Amino acid sequence: MTIIHVENIRKSFGKNKAVDDVSFDVEKGRIFGLLGPNGAGKTTTIRMINHILGPDEGSITINGQEASPITQRMIGYMPEERGLYKKMKVEEQLLYLTQLKGMKPKAAKEAIHYWLDRFEASDWTKKEVGELSKGMSQKIQFIATIAHDPDIYIFDEPFSGLDPINSDMLKDIIIELKNNGKTILFSTHRMEQVEQMCDDICLFNKGKAVLQGKLREVKASFGKNTINLEFDGDGSFLDKLEGVRLNNRSTNFAEIRVLNGQNMQDILKLAMEHAEIHKFERIEPSLNEIFISTVGEDNLKAQQLEEAQ
Amino acid sequence: MDFSKILLVLKREYITRAKSKSFILSTILTPLVLFAFGAFMIWIVTSDTETEKSVGIYDQTGVLAESLIAKDTTRYSNVSLMPFDTVKAMVLREELDAYLFLEEKHIETNENAELIYSGSGGIAFTASVRNDIRDVIQEERLLRAEVSDEVRSLFANRPGLDSRKLTAEGDTEDDKAGFMSGVGFVLGLLIFIGLFGYGAVLMRSVIEEKTNRIVEVITSSLKPIELLIGKVAGVCLLGFTQFTVWAVMYIGISMAAVPVAGVLMQDQIAQATEGQDIEQLASEAGFDPASLEVLSIDPMIFVYFFLFFVLGFFMYASIFAAVGSAVDSEQDTQQFMPILMVPLMGGYILNTRIMVDPDSTLAIIASLFPLTSPINMITRIATTDVPIWQIGASFALLIASFFGVMWVSAKIYRVGILMYGKKASFSDFAKWIRQS
Repeated sequence: MTIIHVENIRKSFGKNKAVDDVSFDVEKGRIFGLLGPNGAGKTTTIRMINHILGPDEGSITINGQEASPITQRMIGYMPEERGLYKKMKVEEQLLYLTQLKGMKPKAAKEAIHYWLDRFEASDWTKKEVGELSKGMSQKIQFIATIAHDPDIYIFDEPFSGLDPINSDMLKDIIIELKNNGKTILFSTHRMEQVEQMCDDICLFNKGKAVLQGKLREVKASFGKNTINLEFDGDGSFLDKLEGVRLNNRSTNFAEIRVLNGQNMQDILKLAMEHAEIHKFERIEPSLNEIFISTVGEDNLKAQQLEEAQ
Repeated sequence: MDFSKILLVLKREYITRAKSKSFILSTILTPLVLFAFGAFMIWIVTSDTETEKSVGIYDQTGVLAESLIAKDTTRYSNVSLMPFDTVKAMVLREELDAYLFLEEKHIETNENAELIYSGSGGIAFTASVRNDIRDVIQEERLLRAEVSDEVRSLFANRPGLDSRKLTAEGDTEDDKAGFMSGVGFVLGLLIFIGLFGYGAVLMRSVIEEKTNRIVEVITSSLKPIELLIGKVAGVCLLGFTQFTVWAVMYIGISMAAVPVAGVLMQDQIAQATEGQDIEQLASEAGFDPASLEVLSIDPMIFVYFFLFFVLGFFMYASIFAAVGSAVDSEQDTQQFMPILMVPLMGGYILNTRIMVDPDSTLAIIASLFPLTSPINMITRIATTDVPIWQIGASFALLIASFFGVMWVSAKIYRVGILMYGKKASFSDFAKWIRQS
């Protein structure tokens, strides 16, 4: 069953087309990953689903209803730029935020205490958020996002800036929410998280949705065009290969994406001439590889350069 | 528009600010500081700052020295018998502060006598000597002209002017123009301070939400316009709390202070006049002992104060909020401040003219123009009888421009709060208004 239906939405800021004719469906009870380099239009799309921005064209329906203040209550949203009122006490703050989501004070209090207990944070209720450590306030931020028990959870770059403990905790929460039949949509540019968690993906580039579907099917559609090679010896023969792209290369390992359909046995032969082969495996490409080949290597390098700055 | 959400925002804005230390301190300390300042001013005015000075009189008329000494025995002394050079030397040695050389011509002609001093003179000192010499010379002239006692008493009693106002009922009532123009100015000043001070509070609050990055969480729960209205109303209520506390404190302090001040002032008046007709002296100085009942203010003025403050605040506050939404820190607000400073300061400066001339064309225009009317109309209402159509027109214009300004500000606000790390300019404002 489709719970978020996005149809032909467009959004421009001045001359910049942030989102250009994007459509996708998010199925209920699944984890949906929104991928793409920075500036691809993920955050703008997420803001439109959250009814923070309105699309210039197209429509967004949530549970069959046009995005509106009513659908806002069905969503728990954690933006990329996270923040809380520093001068407010933890409990007051959570009460305020959950009531804005339409909860009654009594129910809000119960939910807040349930989650504070679960995160072993009950001692902090009377503390100002400014006094808390970064990890602590990240937990408070999770509670603010999920305490009103919505059907849909939207996390924009949820793992950026999280310490490893909170990162694992969030992963567990997302899996738990999914097991409870909730729908999760998150955006990220880190592929390994998507491989581990997502059921469906939608890949964004330059404001357009360039690739989407079930993660398994997307990967399968690329075929087993990648070689996992483990070897012992001099790896310099890899540089002689033509018509391939080397991912994840190290002293005794390489992930080789075979382009232009050349015979993989030739690569094996060349490898055997130069090194001792421990493993030669034909696999589906990694998501990272799919991402690169879809978005284009040059484009990605420019993006990464921008990020590094 | 969801009013329950607006109410939540309002409550948070109001409670967190009303509980803050800075608010409590400023609420308590501001009137205490003002009161202490006022008390200090009264002390300066009433305290006898004049140091005793001695004046030697070298009198060739044989009559003036005597009557001067009769006026003030400690100040004046007769040095006519000493050699003139000795007198000069005494002044130079500062055994005397000054000397007066008086001749017949000072009585017979209009030539002024001269007070010669060394060291410092001081305006208060010369003025009081001038008064004394004027009195004794006039007395002597009248004596020599052999005028009758009746004529002399005519001179002694200087005529004054009382002003009374004709009311609609055909009665006259005590004129309170002086007092009311003071009240009008203070009310205008309060609105000016309120618009500016609380506007800045709101602006800081908007910047805080933006730099804390909480605003995106909030706007995923409500519309920016709801957030804006809730915040403006919360800060407006905060302003009222502070005004109310101050009003109560003022009434309390003045109730305690009036008897004290009264005792002090009576003492003062008695000293100054020493048996002269107090009432006459007082009315000469424009002070009527019965003026305490004049101090009552028409309560309707406070209703107008309330209305103009609220409407003016909502209009200005929405501009403050728009400016706050466009920047990442308070320093960056500088370039936008003129759009707020020019009309507000303009209103304040105009007020000093309007208070003395409330019926001029300038005053009428300023009290109708919506950017200055909250400050200037309340001053006119307090100072003069403003035609009801002008008050109505002023309100109508203010409400219309409030909606206009709010509409534009809300558009800037809803785009600005989600813009991080970019310094906005006026042309960005225009873009944002078109965009949303």
